[in-house]
Amino acid sequence: MAKKGATQPPKTGPKTKPQTRGGKSAQQKGDRRKSSEPVVEKMIEDDGEEWEDESDEEAPETNGGKGNKRKARDDESSDGESDSEGSGLEHGGINLEGIDDSDSESELDSDDGADKDEDGEDEEEEIDVDELSAEDEEDEEQIAAGTRVRQTINNKEGLLAALRRFALDTNPKTVPFVFHQSVVSSKNTEDSIPSIDDDLQRELAFMNQARDAARQGRALLCKDGVPFTRPTDYFAETVRSDETMQKVKAKLVEDATAKKAAAEARKQRDLKKFGKQVQVQKQLERHKQKRETLEKINLLKRKRQEGGSAALGATEADDLFDVAVDNELRSAGNSKKRGAAGDSRGAPNTKRQKKDSKYGFGGKKRFSKSGDAMSSGDLGGFSAKRMKSGGAPGGGPKKGGKAPRPGKLRRQAMAGKR
Amino acid sequence: MAAVYKSLSKGALKADKETDANGTVQRKNKQKVLILSSRGVTYRHRHLLNDIAAMLPHGRKDVKFDSKSKLYQLNELAELYNCNNVLFFEARKGKDLYMWFSKVPNGPTVKFHAQNLHTMEELHFTGNCLKGSRPILSFDGAFETEPYLHVIKEIFLHIFGVPQGARKSKPFVDHVMGFTVADGKIWVRNYEVREVEKVKGADDNDGDDKSTKGKSKGGSGSGDKDTDVSLVEIGPRFVLTPIIIQEGAFGGPIIYENKRFISPNQVRADLRKAKASRHVGRMEQQRDTLARRRNLGLEGDGAKKKDPTGLDTRELFA
Repeated sequence: MAKKGATQPPKTGPKTKPQTRGGKSAQQKGDRRKSSEPVVEKMIEDDGEEWEDESDEEAPETNGGKGNKRKARDDESSDGESDSEGSGLEHGGINLEGIDDSDSESELDSDDGADKDEDGEDEEEEIDVDELSAEDEEDEEQIAAGTRVRQTINNKEGLLAALRRFALDTNPKTVPFVFHQSVVSSKNTEDSIPSIDDDLQRELAFMNQARDAARQGRALLCKDGVPFTRPTDYFAETVRSDETMQKVKAKLVEDATAKKAAAEARKQRDLKKFGKQVQVQKQLERHKQKRETLEKINLLKRKRQEGGSAALGATEADDLFDVAVDNELRSAGNSKKRGAAGDSRGAPNTKRQKKDSKYGFGGKKRFSKSGDAMSSGDLGGFSAKRMKSGGAPGGGPKKGGKAPRPGKLRRQAMAGKR
Repeated sequence: MAAVYKSLSKGALKADKETDANGTVQRKNKQKVLILSSRGVTYRHRHLLNDIAAMLPHGRKDVKFDSKSKLYQLNELAELYNCNNVLFFEARKGKDLYMWFSKVPNGPTVKFHAQNLHTMEELHFTGNCLKGSRPILSFDGAFETEPYLHVIKEIFLHIFGVPQGARKSKPFVDHVMGFTVADGKIWVRNYEVREVEKVKGADDNDGDDKSTKGKSKGGSGSGDKDTDVSLVEIGPRFVLTPIIIQEGAFGGPIIYENKRFISPNQVRADLRKAKASRHVGRMEQQRDTLARRRNLGLEGDGAKKKDPTGLDTRELFA
């Protein structure tokens, strides 16, 4: 990288310039051609003197101006001679697209020169300096903003010369395809990528490009009779080792099994959820069925009764059946209720009765333990002696307990001592 | 015996090089690539290097190169190994990888910044190919549009394209390398070519196209008519951003410089700066608040103002 500066003396001018003159250059590009010839001549005339003037100062600011002038001279000289590699670096007229930013600088200057042609060189110099200092400020701003501006270097002649120097001949007419095996697709793949961040689309576009190339290549190779397909019995070392492929396969299998297991688990979960629903449904159905049956039977009964009273000629067997149905129905319908009420059992045994009287059975349970007039009037459990002996219901001062409070006199005596 | 064989085969080679039947001189594509890295590569860079070396039977892997500033020494090294191409991995800061592609005796040299590296091993693709089989190189159409891309394409052709009759190359073609220009970067992919039964219904257009092609060929291909190609990716994957092109081999004037390339250092610094600016802003705000509160007498010594009535307990019982 250190060679960069040294190897490109003709480029020092545009190098220091950022690309900030796009707008101006656009409008001035047009009249450049017209004005260039007289201007250049004028500039060349001026050039010698100016050159010496500035060389004394040799400030970095003047660098750009010098470059421009030198460029102008280059332009002039290039009309006569064919461009060599070195000097062909940045001919404005030739490399317009690639370096129009840096070009615009020189255009601008030459145009300024055209406008101020009569005013003489002093003013022109001033303008140059002004512009350059402004540029420097911009530069500093950019540096302060932390963005290093890279120069656009796109020396097309140089690139093409370099290409010519080392390129292989891939002309399909003279060289067989098998020589280079390269395919250049006819269209830009980037056009078929809607968004570069969309991985799937992007990879698909890449793959399509490669597949088209493979098809084309295969066709060409087959035409030339070059073996393309590897025979099944041709074994050789592969790029990826068997271990790697084994690993890949294992991973695939693992992925597949994991996916399968997940699907299975989900199915089971769903089934479980669904199963519960089914259960509830079934219960509801059973209830409904029961209700319906009962209703039906009741209806039947009523009908029977009405029918029985209406049709007096019912047979004995029918009556019997009726009773039986009635009994059955009653027993079926009310058995549970009766069981809960305990009617059929009669009174419980004596022990139960005793316990019930003791602990209570049935009746209101709330406030049963709260005091009332009776309980507060009852002094059965009270003993004055026990009360005096320290409150402990056990009776008598305890041996290990706290010493009882001494009498008043003794207390006063103790206080006096202290 | 070996000598005899050598001389015989050499004779054959010579015959190959000489004039063809129709008088055109058959050029020989002799490429040899020196593949090496600088010191300080990460495991990922190293694996990528190995992957690429595995794909290039005309490559010569060398030990790590010890200098990052004197790259011109690589020229001598390449000459030592009879290589006319150099593929040099320059690692910086133990994370950034720059790849230098160079034609050795007299240029050019292309420097790329490599990103999104994925080696063959870590990509669990099912594709595989013979070690040293010659790839078909598939270039995007964009490579023909710009001179610098043209240069890059040519250099890829020399380095990634296995020359015909390379010593360790295999005689079949079973993979494609794809180079695509998108977003100002070059995306490199490697696919295996699998021949599959052609699906008639699926792609009518293609099928028709193919069948007509087959007819025109007159059956010279081996089972071409009823098979189609499908691609399975092998790896590795990486993305190259061109930075500069130099005219010479690791030297000489710069004939192309990419304005759009932003150094990863710059990116990281910007990130850090953005983060720092957030912190600075917060601190400033805090300081302002503090100053304001102090002005209002809510902070510091005057935080608890004296009770103007003089009935403060501290005052009373002082």
